[in-house]
Amino acid sequence: MLTCLSGGHVVDPVNGTDGVGDVYFEDGRVVARPDGRKPDVTHDVSGHVVMAGAIDIHSHIAGGSVNTARLLLPEAHRAHKARPAATPLSTAGWSTFQTGRLYAQMGYTTVIEPAVSPQHALHAHLELSDIPIIDKAFLTVLGNEPFVLGSFRDNESPNVVQDYIGATLEATRAIGIKCVNAGGVDAFKKNVRAFSLDDVVPEYGLTSREIFQRMQRAVHATGISHPLHLHMNNLGLPGNVETALATIDASQGLRLHLAHVQFYAYGKEGKNGFSSAAAQFAEKINSSPNVTVDVGQVMFADIVTISSDVMKQFNSLPGGRPKKGVILDAEGNGAGVVPYSYRISDFFNAVQWAAGLELFLLTNDPMRVFFTTDHPNGAPFTTYPEVFALLMSADKRAQWLSRLPADVVALTNLPAIKREYTIYEIATMTRAAPRKLYGFEDRGSLGAGSVADVAVYKTNEKDRAEMFRHAAYVFKDGELVVRNGDVARYTRGKTLHVKPEYNKTINKRLDSYYEDLYGLRRGMFRVEDEALPASQVFAEVPCRS
Amino acid sequence: MSKATLDGAPIAIEDAYQHAAKILGGAKFPVVAGLATDAAGARAAILLAERLRGAYDHLASDQIFNDLDVTRSFGMFITTPAEARARADVVLLVGPGLTEHWPALFERLALGEPARFNDAAPRKILWLGPKRNEAKVEGVEIETIAATPQALPGLLLAIRARVGGRPITLNGAAAKKIDAYAATLKAARFGAVVWSASAIDGLTVEALQGLVTDLNANTRFTGVPIGARGGASGVVQVGGWMTGFPPRTGFGRGYPEHDPWRFDARRLVDSGEADAALWISAHGGEAPAWTRDDVPLITLAPAGAGAARGLYIEVGRPGETHDAVELAQETSSFVLRRATAPSEAPSVAEVIHAISARFSEDVPC
Repeated sequence: MLTCLSGGHVVDPVNGTDGVGDVYFEDGRVVARPDGRKPDVTHDVSGHVVMAGAIDIHSHIAGGSVNTARLLLPEAHRAHKARPAATPLSTAGWSTFQTGRLYAQMGYTTVIEPAVSPQHALHAHLELSDIPIIDKAFLTVLGNEPFVLGSFRDNESPNVVQDYIGATLEATRAIGIKCVNAGGVDAFKKNVRAFSLDDVVPEYGLTSREIFQRMQRAVHATGISHPLHLHMNNLGLPGNVETALATIDASQGLRLHLAHVQFYAYGKEGKNGFSSAAAQFAEKINSSPNVTVDVGQVMFADIVTISSDVMKQFNSLPGGRPKKGVILDAEGNGAGVVPYSYRISDFFNAVQWAAGLELFLLTNDPMRVFFTTDHPNGAPFTTYPEVFALLMSADKRAQWLSRLPADVVALTNLPAIKREYTIYEIATMTRAAPRKLYGFEDRGSLGAGSVADVAVYKTNEKDRAEMFRHAAYVFKDGELVVRNGDVARYTRGKTLHVKPEYNKTINKRLDSYYEDLYGLRRGMFRVEDEALPASQVFAEVPCRS
Repeated sequence: MSKATLDGAPIAIEDAYQHAAKILGGAKFPVVAGLATDAAGARAAILLAERLRGAYDHLASDQIFNDLDVTRSFGMFITTPAEARARADVVLLVGPGLTEHWPALFERLALGEPARFNDAAPRKILWLGPKRNEAKVEGVEIETIAATPQALPGLLLAIRARVGGRPITLNGAAAKKIDAYAATLKAARFGAVVWSASAIDGLTVEALQGLVTDLNANTRFTGVPIGARGGASGVVQVGGWMTGFPPRTGFGRGYPEHDPWRFDARRLVDSGEADAALWISAHGGEAPAWTRDDVPLITLAPAGAGAARGLYIEVGRPGETHDAVELAQETSSFVLRRATAPSEAPSVAEVIHAISARFSEDVPC
């Protein structure tokens, strides 16, 4: 069936398109305008913006830690609306089912869960398979486990960890590798309470710097598209911009993705010893072309922090809002879940909000700066439309600023920044840039051959939030799944993963490592087809070469 | 091929599915209870409860909430058995019957061997309130304090007080023992407390997690919970991602509501609020705890556990007669258990799908 979206404002940065035109798709793929054929269906989308489906590169949507958060906070996700007849559990607060529905309604069609430990890969896949409509994938977390630390300490050939990464990606069916507070999570098990770039992991004699650099090189060597996804040391601490700047300096000119950088954009100025250092940080990002960042914008809302940075999460417990939390020390990497509430009247929270926007507005390349709230750590993903609106309107920001504590306004550059993101830049940041970051060849673009994941928004210059909150149409693999902001039907998305070549002899060594250290068969953690629902469909993302 | 009976008399499986669909589809507020099944079975059962606007509960919910209520009101420090095995230099066992609830406990945590990390120092094992003779384990030296389950919270609080250097009212030998326990716990480098919420109550769980919290002020300490029977930990996880809530969740208003009192299956049936029950007990064939016998009942249980009353449909045992995904105690993660003695008996998920396929058109999909 040939479908035509006719007369919309097509915004497709991958192909440099920014003007009125038609988009055609057939059999789930975008096609060039066919000669001499009449479309079977034509949607008149004049007065609308047409983009590829959006891609979220870092959002905690599935897996053991997210589920722990759900179970920790029954009070946080009461549903209030009966579900429509055709979409089971679609209003179940914070369920997998609702996650797919809410993302689709905003025109998002691919979402990456950023923190799944290899031991919980099957759990994550079970949840992902229950998220309807969108395509999804996850990063697996490595870099604090005795295998890696031991290999680095013993100065083994870099091939060992490279093969270990290959084997882990294969067993977990992940799309990339994340490293969290490199060495710090292990150090916390030895009662170390603060850990910076040049601190040494007890018993291994390795600094965080050495660990992340070697992990960065090993990930690069596997040939997978996504570079090392790094959660740096000292998240959330006053003055931590120094850590971020030093980390960039240490990045060896190799590609490196820094996660939720807003949480690292802090100086120590002012009477509270806490200020925004976003301007300095943004300048560094601008001058470091090998580095990509996602922002992790804070919005004023009740949230829950979910992180594999167990040390940080432990240190956050006393400040929990409400004061409770789960701290999991696991094999290598672990997890911490601590609820929090960002308040506009809170000095620190207001600085965080402003620092995030400054980073968005003072960085100059939307191909390297990604749109995230680190859902749910900075804000729920449902706040994205408001964040888009803030980026696109200096007036809107001024309105918000007038509600902030005066001492915060004095400490940020935000009032002076007049930049307003264009629709083209928004599309770059949420479509073209993620395509490049993860090496997708089939999405993030409306070029012929791309999957027909298409979001159509009714142009609304007065209320950008409303525009992005309820897409007028969303097509997933060419099927109409959202109409006028409501999900019309549930479809099954795919799970994306990478499968680089590696030397398989490592598997034998890893088997005995598990047997020896944990008394377990490593195969128990492997994701097998038989363990997954039949509806689970995988699609491989190609490696770089 | 599955077997089925109606009030003890054999009926054709096709008739059984049809009859089950009629009972459930015609009910105003059916409860899906027991829920002792694998991940796929739990998923199918919860979707069924939602579709019928009923409720779901688990046969071990009381034990589930001994842990979960502490988590969601206070918080929890936990680790995996694998990490405890590799790293815990001090292990505090709390409560009676731990090896009944987890027969592999000593072997899995390698309690007779030193921890691999922490310089392979000998592991210190403490056991507060074991059953008589339970703490006599060959090759493992265990420091015990005898205590009834009722005395455990008080003792844990006394230890916590001594860990914090605060006075306690105990004296003599008892106080000495408490002091020795406190000293051992404080000296741990990475300690772990092991408990089963099937053996101790919520107050005791809270007391021991309070102790762990205080110990973490100066050293590292964490916990290894032993999950309740009937695949409880896995079912809690599946409920969590599907609805946001653990068992005792209802859909009467068209959206999930969690209320441990309202959606207690025993109460729902005994009070007559539920007008039909689907009872699932695929591991052991446990019987429901309610007393009322005039509410239409469908039982899904393995061979040999047939119900004399109501409709019974035979199901396989997860991981035994069919492959199953379950949350494994030994890894505290979901794993695939391959069938050890494959049979034709259908899984819970398969039976629920067969029943659901026979609903009349009035039931929403």
